Amino acid sequence: MIRRKQALAITAVIAALSLTAACGGDDTKKAGGDKGDKGYSGAATGVVNASDAKGGELKLWSPQDVDFLDPARAYYGFVWNMQRLFIRQLYAYDSKPGAAGTKLVPDLADGEPVLSNDGKTYTVKIKDGVKFEDGTPITSKDFKYGVERVFAQDVLAGGPTYLIDQLDQGQKYQGPYKDTDPDKMGLKSVQTPDDHTVVFNLASANSDFKYLLAMSSSSPVPAGKDTGATYTNKPVSTGPYKVESFASGKGATFVRNENWDPKTDTIRKGLPDKITFTVTTNPDDMDQRLLSGDIDLAVDGTGVQQAAKNKILKDANLKKNADNPFTGYIRYFAFPQTVAPFDNVECRKAVIYAADPKSLQNARGGPTSGDLGANMLPPGVPGADKSYDPWNLTAGKPQEDKAKAALKACGKPDGFETTIAVRNNKAPEVKSAESLQASLAKVGIKATIDQYDGKLSSSTIGSPDNVKKKNYGIIVMGWGADYNSGAGFLQPLVDGSFIAQTGNNNYTMLDDPEVNGLFDKAAAAATPDAAAPFYTDINKKIMEKALYLPINFDKALVYHNPRLTNVYFNDSMGKIDLAVVGVAK
Amino acid sequence: MLVYLIRRLFNVAATLLVVSVVTFGIFFAVPKLTGSDPALMYAGRETNPTALAGIRVKMGFDKPISEQYWMFLKGVFAGRDYDAGTEVTHCAAPCFGYSFKSEAPVWETMLDRMPVTLSLALGAAVIWVIAGVATGVVSALKRRTAIDRTVMIGALAGVSLPIFFTGMVAPAIFVYGLGWLDVSNYKPLTEDPLAWLNSLILPWVTLAFLFAATYARITRATMLEVLGEDYIRTARAKGLKEGVVIRKHALRSTLTPVVTMFGLDLGGLLGGAVLTETTFNFQGLGTAAVAAISQGDLPVIMGVTMLAALFVVLANLIVDLLYAVIDPRVRLT
Amino acid sequence: MSVADVPAKAIEGRSPGRIAWMRLKRDKVALTGGVVVIFLILVAVFAPQIVSLLGHPPNEFHEDLIDPDLGTPIGSFGGVSSDFLLGVEPTNGRDVFSRILYGARISLIVAFLAAFVSVVIGSLLGALAGFLGGWVDGVISRLMDLLLAFPQLLFTIALVSVVPNSLMGLEGSSVRMAVLILVIGFFGWPYIGRIVRGQTMSLREREYVEAARSLGAGRGYILIKELLPNLVAPILVYSTLIIPTNILTEAALSFLGAGVKPPTASWGKMLSDAIPIYQDDPMYMVVPGITIFITVLAFNLFGDGLRDALDPKGS
Repeated sequence: MIRRKQALAITAVIAALSLTAACGGDDTKKAGGDKGDKGYSGAATGVVNASDAKGGELKLWSPQDVDFLDPARAYYGFVWNMQRLFIRQLYAYDSKPGAAGTKLVPDLADGEPVLSNDGKTYTVKIKDGVKFEDGTPITSKDFKYGVERVFAQDVLAGGPTYLIDQLDQGQKYQGPYKDTDPDKMGLKSVQTPDDHTVVFNLASANSDFKYLLAMSSSSPVPAGKDTGATYTNKPVSTGPYKVESFASGKGATFVRNENWDPKTDTIRKGLPDKITFTVTTNPDDMDQRLLSGDIDLAVDGTGVQQAAKNKILKDANLKKNADNPFTGYIRYFAFPQTVAPFDNVECRKAVIYAADPKSLQNARGGPTSGDLGANMLPPGVPGADKSYDPWNLTAGKPQEDKAKAALKACGKPDGFETTIAVRNNKAPEVKSAESLQASLAKVGIKATIDQYDGKLSSSTIGSPDNVKKKNYGIIVMGWGADYNSGAGFLQPLVDGSFIAQTGNNNYTMLDDPEVNGLFDKAAAAATPDAAAPFYTDINKKIMEKALYLPINFDKALVYHNPRLTNVYFNDSMGKIDLAVVGVAK
Repeated sequence: MLVYLIRRLFNVAATLLVVSVVTFGIFFAVPKLTGSDPALMYAGRETNPTALAGIRVKMGFDKPISEQYWMFLKGVFAGRDYDAGTEVTHCAAPCFGYSFKSEAPVWETMLDRMPVTLSLALGAAVIWVIAGVATGVVSALKRRTAIDRTVMIGALAGVSLPIFFTGMVAPAIFVYGLGWLDVSNYKPLTEDPLAWLNSLILPWVTLAFLFAATYARITRATMLEVLGEDYIRTARAKGLKEGVVIRKHALRSTLTPVVTMFGLDLGGLLGGAVLTETTFNFQGLGTAAVAAISQGDLPVIMGVTMLAALFVVLANLIVDLLYAVIDPRVRLT
Repeated sequence: MSVADVPAKAIEGRSPGRIAWMRLKRDKVALTGGVVVIFLILVAVFAPQIVSLLGHPPNEFHEDLIDPDLGTPIGSFGGVSSDFLLGVEPTNGRDVFSRILYGARISLIVAFLAAFVSVVIGSLLGALAGFLGGWVDGVISRLMDLLLAFPQLLFTIALVSVVPNSLMGLEGSSVRMAVLILVIGFFGWPYIGRIVRGQTMSLREREYVEAARSLGAGRGYILIKELLPNLVAPILVYSTLIIPTNILTEAALSFLGAGVKPPTASWGKMLSDAIPIYQDDPMYMVVPGITIFITVLAFNLFGDGLRDALDPKGS
């Protein structure tokens, strides 16, 4: 099951534009720090109910269980958001609305990293006075140990493995549990010259490395408190709260961590006295409680169910506590070039033209589920251009004449047969597949829907051999980046070197020297801004090849309890930032 | 009696053993045959070879099926250690497996879910037995009257309604329409008995309605048959009051098939009232199993299946023992 | 029943089948059930023709009939109109009338064929157990107990989840249907098996069987020529009664996501699709729910009537 962190920035401008479109411009207030009722989608642009009042119990619910609380194993975006409450890293996304929230600021680090050795060495100083929940100071060794744990994939599978790609450098390090070093400090690329300094040596310059240091998997872990696979049940806290209890499938309770010093923390406010997290199997019941003010927030961030959505949209009083932000996901169909006739660009075009974008949007839940997408780089990622629409998809109508012409050019004037692969556990994706199937039938393309086991996607659609064998000409998928850069978003999808035998995400099997080269150029660029034009280019290249049919730039209808303070969507994850939320007025 | 009991217990064990072999075979061997790697189900998003190899070793997927089964069986009685080479996870007896999705022994999950299913099944059972038998008896005694017809048509409607439909209609009427009840979400009895009751009323009634209908039909049919028997006529001829004849003589024999059915039904429900739990979103054994199936969490599927089979077999045994109490003609040999 | 009729007809010798038919004819409720059953079968068989006259193709989208923001049909009662007799499906506007009709095909095909599987296995093994007795009976009876102890629903969902998409030349929904038929049929046979076993056991001791045996008839001859004809009635009754159960099981499995695959219409799937939206669009829940109810009820009424009619003790 692919659940990617939604670490995508959406600029305030774009969010404001979509907001005007969604609610007819009834929200004329400017984004900013002003207090009070901002109305529908107010928290998508600015802070709602700014306050520093402490106390109370913040009640978080989720219809989805957490994957792991262990920082090395967590991969769900909402869990990363929850971890902001009790786990800190060297750098973290700033707790600010709008574009500011996508900027990394020092958290446990004392200032920016010092780069040397042509950008290959990152030296980071650690803040004074930062402690674990038991009062022991956090040292550089704890950071190194935390990073080393990611290498123990045999015991701690589940989380992102970017750190292994960057830091192994041929050592074949097996993680601390198999480390022969008596202090378990065997990873060569990370050094700890003293307790306050940690040094990361990269094989080549990588301006995205700071994003990796901001991920949960780079959190410090005290070696003496590491309990291996069961660490997920009681991870040691460094933030304002600590885990009092946790039961998989049920929930967790977080209480104040007395050893957290607010003076060392510019990101978190630590307002509620207590935070409870409850897993429910009944999302409709959860929505009901949310609307009645019984609970505070559905922390999974995927938005309310249909019943509640309709209630909210029909009731202005409820609507003013709701927001419709971008989630950072993009929904799309991919056409594997290894499956005939999708080796022919004209046949791919035929499918794109035959599709009914409006119907696909409806299948996902209508306009509140996202804006019609026309390309593969969602708004907010540096280099994105939301208005770029090479196939005229935002017009929202099927283009049957063009589809038929493309079919003729492809040498299949009477259409062809193909298979649409779709996860069986994602209802909107199944509905999208049904919609495409109906549209394709109109131009003579007969598509069969194959619902594969969603939990096995890495070995079904993620296996190029299987895709070919099963004749999957069309694959329905969703994608969100792990971190906010063009590479973070697009590289796994279209860089030829990312093609894998299982867990492949480059479904179209694109291995184009030009595209691959552009990624290299972008990586070598000095700053994200300098890299942006390369991503614009890549987006154009892949769209011109007609490899993808984008459905929409995903949005969610999120309702929050009006009693919540400091409510805003952090654009780095498309979710309400838990770092500052309070419940007392 | 003792010999009978031992023989029956031996049968129970044999049945469970066969169920376990078949279940194990299907869930652990079939994926192997169709070429899907069970380790992949545990790996989540990162399917790097190290992680997969680690899972295989830990779960024992690298060993032959027969040995895996033996390890499972041994675990149930003696507990089991999951050894990843560097790090050992202990699962105490009765170890029905260890879920690496939730990092907890399956038995713990089952213990956790059991109160929900027990509350649901037992509560509904009380309602349906009383309601079903009572209406069945009344219907039989008032044979061919308007009451009989109405009750029987109602009962037939009851057996023809799918629970996942009534389970939607009932809240639509009583919760959203009339507002008499809250949305039912299971609350533990130990926390708040009133909330527990409130959360269970609708599921109980919905579930009981289905079964009560069946029981009413069976009770009526058996009662009519029994009332035609000679010993009832004798009893009446002796001048016994009609109430006594019904209560002391007819009802007793009538109950025999009802008890048989009750054993099977309750046993089946205790192993997870899948549809009711799904419709009402209760976190019981049934929903645990369904969720486990959709997540490919094999140990949980295995555990719940075994538990469900155990309930059915035990319920059957208890029913057979009860026969001797209800029906003096039955001798346990 | 008028007294005057009795002497005139009592003289005729009537075959058991004839008696049963006469009884059935008098049972208005059962007859109604039978008529509905026949009607449903005809509807399922001629679904394509009916739909082309009164409906729209079952997989055709009509999104102009849906409110895009809410996802619910425009107009009251789920978009019921003279064009869409039972309204339209939320989100995509497919014709509920034609999907109900096509769903009937799936439902009835699975129910009938699964019943057939149960009857074949059940009568064969039941008759063998009852006729041969001894260890054969022991093994078969144990097997039946075992199957009844199996959590059928869970087992089926799990099995469906591991069955590949194409199997032995079948593809997609046909694979699912084949699996459903086999599994439902397989778990259903012990019910038939127990009845047949019991019947065979009592028949085996009857005088006419004794007579045949003393005349030197072989076991096979006795089983086929003497016993089987007398087993037809109970088998018929119980297969009529197992069909509604199968319809419910198929709907339940589809409801739980283990049924046929989209876009194939099925009643159970429609109900599970209705869950998230039934507060806004109750029609989409009510239509398939009532359809299942009527179908199962009709089969039950007919089966009950048939049983009463064939019961030799009945009046």
